[in-house]
Amino acid sequence: MLAVQGITKTVATQAGELIILRDISLDVAAGESLAITGASGSGKSTLLGILAGLDVPTSGQVLLNKHALTSLDEEGRARVRADNVGFIFQSFQLLPGLTALENVMLPLELRGNKKAKSLALDFLAQVGLEKRINHYPQQLSGGEQQRVAIARAFASQPKILFADEPTGNLDTATGARIIDLLFELNAEQGATLVLITHEERLARRCQTRIVLSAGAILAAQDNS
Amino acid sequence: MLQSTLILPLKLLARNWSCGELKLLTISLVLAVAVLSGISIFANRLEATLLLQSNSILGADAVVTSSVPIDQSLIDRAAADNIQQSFASTFLSVVYAGDEMQLASIKAVDSLYPLRGQLDISDLVYAEKSSDIRAANTIPAAGEVWVDSRLFAALEMALGDKVAVGDVELTVKHILIDEPDGVNPMSSFGARLVMNSGDLSRTNIPQENYQWLLAAENAQALAEFIETIKPELNQHQSVATLESAQGQLAANLKTANHFLVIASVMAVLLAGVAIAIAARQFSLRHTNQVALMKSLGASALHIRLMYFGQLLMLGVVAALIGLVLGYALQELVALNINHLYRIELAPSSAHPYLLSFTGGVICVLFFALPALWFLPAIPPLKILRRELPVNLPQVWLQVVLALLAILMLMGLFSLDLKITLSATLGLLAVLLVAGMVSWLLLQISKLVVGSLGGVCRLAFAGMQKRKGQSLLQVVIFSLALMLLLTMTIIRTSFIADWQKQIPSDGPNYFIGNMNAADNTAFKQWLQETGIAAPPVYPVVRVRIAQINDVAPSEELRKRHNAFERELYVTGTDMLPDDNKIVAGQWWDAWENSGLDRAGVSIDAEFAKVIGLKLGDKLDFSVGGLTLSAQVASIRQIDWKSLDQNFLFIFEPNALDHFSPNYGAAIFVSPNHKPALNQFARNHPNLLLLDFGGMIANIQKIINQVSNGVGLVLWLTLGAGCLVLFAAVMSSIDSRKQEAGLLRALGSSRRLMLGSVIVEFALLGFLSGLIAIVGAEAFLLALQQFVFNSELQPHLAYWIAAPLLGGLLIATLGIVCCRSLVVTPPAVVLREAA
Repeated sequence: MLAVQGITKTVATQAGELIILRDISLDVAAGESLAITGASGSGKSTLLGILAGLDVPTSGQVLLNKHALTSLDEEGRARVRADNVGFIFQSFQLLPGLTALENVMLPLELRGNKKAKSLALDFLAQVGLEKRINHYPQQLSGGEQQRVAIARAFASQPKILFADEPTGNLDTATGARIIDLLFELNAEQGATLVLITHEERLARRCQTRIVLSAGAILAAQDNS
Repeated sequence: MLQSTLILPLKLLARNWSCGELKLLTISLVLAVAVLSGISIFANRLEATLLLQSNSILGADAVVTSSVPIDQSLIDRAAADNIQQSFASTFLSVVYAGDEMQLASIKAVDSLYPLRGQLDISDLVYAEKSSDIRAANTIPAAGEVWVDSRLFAALEMALGDKVAVGDVELTVKHILIDEPDGVNPMSSFGARLVMNSGDLSRTNIPQENYQWLLAAENAQALAEFIETIKPELNQHQSVATLESAQGQLAANLKTANHFLVIASVMAVLLAGVAIAIAARQFSLRHTNQVALMKSLGASALHIRLMYFGQLLMLGVVAALIGLVLGYALQELVALNINHLYRIELAPSSAHPYLLSFTGGVICVLFFALPALWFLPAIPPLKILRRELPVNLPQVWLQVVLALLAILMLMGLFSLDLKITLSATLGLLAVLLVAGMVSWLLLQISKLVVGSLGGVCRLAFAGMQKRKGQSLLQVVIFSLALMLLLTMTIIRTSFIADWQKQIPSDGPNYFIGNMNAADNTAFKQWLQETGIAAPPVYPVVRVRIAQINDVAPSEELRKRHNAFERELYVTGTDMLPDDNKIVAGQWWDAWENSGLDRAGVSIDAEFAKVIGLKLGDKLDFSVGGLTLSAQVASIRQIDWKSLDQNFLFIFEPNALDHFSPNYGAAIFVSPNHKPALNQFARNHPNLLLLDFGGMIANIQKIINQVSNGVGLVLWLTLGAGCLVLFAAVMSSIDSRKQEAGLLRALGSSRRLMLGSVIVEFALLGFLSGLIAIVGAEAFLLALQQFVFNSELQPHLAYWIAAPLLGGLLIATLGIVCCRSLVVTPPAVVLREAA
């Protein structure tokens, strides 16, 4: 599903060229899960951005569901994301002006899906928020907001799901429930899961785990 | 595709509307279109009404006056062009009734008369109540006449009595209350009689004043016809149209129209600035949303369709609401005018609606759209890395586009290059000065911030921190205040100027055709009645025969209509109050060069158009005699004034050999009117012109325009406040974080509110100062190039503007920022996050 070959990311700064990622290669098969861990500033978010096609590497190749992201322009990558990718963010990233239902419907509407509403209702029910569909994000707790975000991510039935610190803004108990939900739905959908986390429990539940340090893979671990 | 192009933007629009993000943008758009449509519909209706009124004064769309009967070939051509025609003949004659006689102005008309307007008649003498007056749908039948109240009273007769006009006796059927008579000076000289032209030949009175009245449904066709016949008219024939008949009124209306145009575009400019600020804020708040949608796979085209689609839909709805509101506003003024002055405004054409809608579209395209332009280029990675910079549209680019929009709107609405350029130059000057002053302020605040304490330190530090915003705020505040000041000053001076033209005790009667004996009696009568003695001018009628010993060429004749008609000239040592010598000397300091020519003082405009200078020779024809003169001085004349004015004033006694008549304009109060009638009766050859009705009409029109001007000023004020509010609100987001932190760290409300007051008061004070500089510059350009009026500084505003600016902006600052200070810091911090 995801094949990464020798990607490097550098940025120019006043002090000279800064290497953020160096020679990263990895493969994630369809339906597998990968945890990316590492200290702050180790390049996790940059790697996730490149893997998801939100950013491009300075060199190297990324194949996402057989699409060579590095040879596509932004519009081409947007099409690949629309057809293949779902996201879950640390800060939930729900649109404040939209209700829970509308937030879940948004990516479906962007794809012109005519069953947007019924699908969204279905997934909101699966995350246990069928009674809060008309609530706005600010009327929901952190855990509830993240459940809406999960429903939104799965509603568009992505082939690969990227999650950026999905429990980072939640307390331990709520975080645990969100992790369970995430893996339950992922098992049902059969999607590939790539996530960034600081949390040991979450990293352990993924089949593969890599540890980044100073932009390079320090260690790779097979949990399966 | 339909989903993403129409339905999704519509849904997002509804969602954005429901969470209040679009309110300022919508209000600004609605206001812009409401102002444009309100003013242009009103102006259009006013113009149409005045055209109708003026045409009814003229009795036609155009009138050819002639001293000989109109050539049959011209009449045939007019008929072939489907132009309506009517013929009238006017003359002065003594009318007899029993033992009484009175000089009267007589008009013989055909059955089609008048082509525009109507004859109003009554069976009561001096009838004023509308219930006593009715419109005559016909003209006097053969053998009958209608006479006005003054003639009726002077001849002491009753309806049904006979009057003799020349050799024919006619029956008085009705009292004539009003008639269209704009082009015949004689017909205005009270004591009027209208008769059927079928009876004219039997009077055996020789005719030399023919009127050929013309009207057409298609104004363009008539204008073209007149242009084609003009070269064929001889020197005894001339064409009167609305402008020539209503010169002074037209000048006032042109000024008022200029004001309305400037004011409306200023109001739109202010609304436009508010639109731009609101759109910028809206787009900044949506950067994360766009990044999220892009991460979810939305293409740049999607984003463009979604946001531009929202803006387009909002623009169309706001423009429609604005049109309705604009219509309602002008209708309100029209109803008020109808209620107060019983004048029903003519309906508007579709043109102003289309024009205003176009104005709304220009506002959306040039003020709002540029602010949203960068949204599709937001990188999707911003969803993961918030600190990523966004390429916001450059402010200067928005300013350039806004100026382009203003140029377009000004050009579109005024169709006047001078106004457009004056306003643009004024705006550029303010932008430049405001930019420089605010940059200086920031530099100074940087230097002094360390040495200040408490409230002031916080205020200056705030300004430093929000450098860009502070700079922009000063520019916007200055611009808004400048436009408000300009409008207030122009409006105040216009109204004062108009009122000065028509003082309540200004002359309302003209007494003319007095011989020397009448003049002596007139002066004695003034003494007896206690009426203030006006200047009495000796008057003769002349034609310009030669200029510097050469007959005026065709080319010269085209430059000024003075060659086409007989002119009333005077000789006096009294320089009229509203005349100013701009070259040469008035008679008390002038010395005749001994050329055996009389000195003549001429109108500056005439001198300029014809190219005359001091010492040039002019020969006039006076009833077959020649009056030779040389230019002794050039006078600037205020033709807008209702006082008597002359194109040519000769040195005293120069007209003595030409049997002058005497004339004077006087104010006669209602209780002196019987005495005036008695005096006129005792001097039957006297010509009495009552132009009280004309003054009342002008006052009505001025009141109409003043109402419109007042409305526009309020709308401009509304737009100005919107801009100020938008500008203050634009810094709220960045203040939230700071306010939350300071409060969390224990800063008192007093300290924080104090710093807000100091910061905004200082910005407001400076903006007020810059605004008055800009307003004076703008007014200077307008006075110099557009209104041609005297340049005057407005000292009181130099003090008031900075103080009011400081007060206003500080108050707005408190209103907008108060919530940051009184809301618990945790809430403020959470909102900021």
